[in-house]
Amino acid sequence: MQILTKNWHKIDPLNIDSYIRTGGYEALQKAIREMKPAEAIDEVKKSGLRGRGGAGFPTGEKWELAAKTPAKEKYFICNLDESEPGAYKDRIIAEKNPHQIIEGLLIGAFAVGAKKAFIYINGHYQKQDEILKIALEQAREKEFVGRSVIGSAVDIEIDIFQGAGAYICGEETALINSIEGKRGEPRLKPPYPPVAGLFGKPTIVNNAETLANVSYIIKRGAKVFSEIGAAVSPGTKLFVLEGAVKNRGIHEAPLGTTAQELVYNSLYGGGLEDGKEFWFAQIGGASGRLMPVGKLDQPLVYGKCEYPLGCGSIFVADKNADLKDLLFSWADFFHRESCGKCVPCREGTYRLWEIAKRLKSDDLLERDRKNIEDILWTLSNTTFCPLGNFASVAWSDAIKMFPDKIFNDQ
Amino acid sequence: MSLQKILLRFEPKPENLLRVLKAVQKENKYIGKKECEQVAEYFSAPLARVYSFASFFSGIRTKKEDKKIIRVCSGGPCLSEDSSKVAHQIEMLLHIEAGNDAHPKYKLEYMSCLGLCDRGPVVMVDENIFEKVKPENVDDIIQSYL
Repeated sequence: MQILTKNWHKIDPLNIDSYIRTGGYEALQKAIREMKPAEAIDEVKKSGLRGRGGAGFPTGEKWELAAKTPAKEKYFICNLDESEPGAYKDRIIAEKNPHQIIEGLLIGAFAVGAKKAFIYINGHYQKQDEILKIALEQAREKEFVGRSVIGSAVDIEIDIFQGAGAYICGEETALINSIEGKRGEPRLKPPYPPVAGLFGKPTIVNNAETLANVSYIIKRGAKVFSEIGAAVSPGTKLFVLEGAVKNRGIHEAPLGTTAQELVYNSLYGGGLEDGKEFWFAQIGGASGRLMPVGKLDQPLVYGKCEYPLGCGSIFVADKNADLKDLLFSWADFFHRESCGKCVPCREGTYRLWEIAKRLKSDDLLERDRKNIEDILWTLSNTTFCPLGNFASVAWSDAIKMFPDKIFNDQ
Repeated sequence: MSLQKILLRFEPKPENLLRVLKAVQKENKYIGKKECEQVAEYFSAPLARVYSFASFFSGIRTKKEDKKIIRVCSGGPCLSEDSSKVAHQIEMLLHIEAGNDAHPKYKLEYMSCLGLCDRGPVVMVDENIFEKVKPENVDDIIQSYL
């Protein structure tokens, strides 16, 4: 089942006509000409679409909240600031079919009544930034972007905003702060951005992949979409397979597919590389949990589940993988990217990184073992935003699952 | 281009602050005290705010950097493609140690992530990105920057 990747092979990202030939921008025309904003929101709500960035919040409900908040100005932001090790699905969408994101963004902005939209792109994505700029220019020529979209009374301006290398800016309130010219630190919630976001105005921040689903929902209707994938979270998802699997890269699969299928089915991962034996899989990027062989049959969905899907990256470690290197890699990333706003995360990630360095060079001290537990508890229970918690997830699982490998116990 | 000329390309609106800093850095290589002061004046913002903003982002340098900075990705996907061997090779070749600032000309750091996980291991020398680097290619890359 393909929604997002279906026409990628037919599309030239630098030519808007190739997108239009596959039915592109029909959904935007349908929304603006035939629907009221509230109807568009209702359609997305009924479709059951959930945010694809990691949190999995119902998209339609988010939109409704912003639409219902009275304000003169509203903003709509596409979050393309992915920068977690193992995540690059949004980059691929921008590369293969930028108009898919732009169309979803336009429909969203129309639905909530935002005249100004941003695409917040990871500062390292230079090439994708250029592709999006060209795509926007072409969309403007066709009157999809700018004043009076396709001759209607709707005005939507889209601007690209480049980040500058800060993982935390993927968190929506930190992202908003950085656009406002403030340090990219997360804000206290509530108020949530749909009520008071960018410059204090109602603001929607949606992941790029989420928006790429919108045109399909508007065109085919909520019912068709809601029948794909799992009941709790319908639709398909771009899964990124990496590590010891044969077919690494992006694979689109319905939500509710199990990790077992993704890794071993020849449609997707095709099993492990020759001579390699499965050890564990990390679900959802560097902030994801470690899944042992016995749990592979769990369906991956958004909503309540033991192994949160996150951004959809699945890293497969084989029996020869160096766990100490991986532990260092996780600690190194989070200590570098901690924004410094709250002490538990700033200090916790730093101390964990120091311990990881010792672990890597086999100089673990007597006291480290207890300290690891303390730090992990503090990170998972006391940090200001979820990112501090993320830093502890993989470590906590590794300590529980493989203490002998870490502490060299007999 | 003079700093003033760069500034005038942008309206002094809050959402242009990061854009201005990036544009200045492109020209000047870093955003020092002098640059911060001028930007602050142009935006009618306190110097402390501009500096704290600039120093927040890893993509903005607030100090002049004379050393060649070599970065190796230490993210999981790059690791599984042997990025640690690549880092080790660089350490051997240049007699430096990752994270140690002692060498007068080179600095090796770990980074993650440029979102190029499908093309790892990724190595960055200053602003130049190298993909699918193998330990045996390290010498060529370093040589071209000596």
